[in-house]
Amino acid sequence: MQGAELRKKIKEVIVDELMLEIEPSEIGDKAPIFGGDGLGLDSVDALQLVVALEKHFGLKIGNSTAAKGILESVETIASEIEKAA
Amino acid sequence: MRSILITGGNGGLGLGIARFFLTRDPDCKVWLGVRKNRDAAEQCASEFDGRCALIDLEVTSPEAWSAAIEKITTESGRLDVLVNNAGMHSDHLLAMMPAESWHGVISSNLDSVFHGCKAVTTTMMRQRFGRIINIASLSAIMPPLGQTNYAAAKAGVVALTRTLAKETARSGITVNVVLPGYVETEALGDMDEDARKQAKAGIPMRRFGKPEEVAAAVHFLASAEASYITGASLKIDGGIF
Repeated sequence: MQGAELRKKIKEVIVDELMLEIEPSEIGDKAPIFGGDGLGLDSVDALQLVVALEKHFGLKIGNSTAAKGILESVETIASEIEKAA
Repeated sequence: MRSILITGGNGGLGLGIARFFLTRDPDCKVWLGVRKNRDAAEQCASEFDGRCALIDLEVTSPEAWSAAIEKITTESGRLDVLVNNAGMHSDHLLAMMPAESWHGVISSNLDSVFHGCKAVTTTMMRQRFGRIINIASLSAIMPPLGQTNYAAAKAGVVALTRTLAKETARSGITVNVVLPGYVETEALGDMDEDARKQAKAGIPMRRFGKPEEVAAAVHFLASAEASYITGASLKIDGGIF
């Protein structure tokens, strides 16, 4: 899975696993996931997302420094998954 | 099949909890975490052939925890319930307490719970289901003389439980703690008859608890029905306040 299909699936995983009350399509590819302009998520959500990305895409994120960069947006997550594939 | 790990699996309380699960839930497998002493755990495993197994687990070792969880999830496919029951006490007045007594009790009662919770959290998050029940003690909130180490460790377990409950609440994992008072196990073995009479006089129910009375609470907290209870501290002590 890659390209637009991958990005759509990542958004579905974010909404489903983090129990967000929005539609996956409302998340922009390059929109920040965390921080003031993000989805209002916190560090607990970040941990949950790390576990979910490994479960659904086999993406292993080793530490919190790496997680900060990878979890910036759907685009950065997708790039990391595509790189690892 | 529900998979349940109980540490301190050779002790009276651990075995009481194990037998409670095994007799009430035909569809569960209980793993008894043990170290050197394992006679009573082996007896339990033979009674519930195929549904109860021993697993080597030095609870103060993160490596031992990783190996144990790996084995359980490989063989059972999942881990639903962790009961952090292992512990020990080494009572001294603080002024006379050897440093090794302090560190040993903190390590076996508090560090062990940290290592155990850390070892299972990711697995339970992946499952989006988990039940962690920590066994503290009434000493956490009503400490007797001579237990600065044990009381501090168990109070730490209560605080750890409440914090972890918040961190895992969105993941389908509940974390609760029970605080048994006097329970008829080998832990009371060093009390003489006078000390037992004196202790009972301070309990409104005028008796010590039975392991199965603690087990019943643990069993409930581990159930699907207890899904909205997390971060709770439950005293089980015959009414001591």
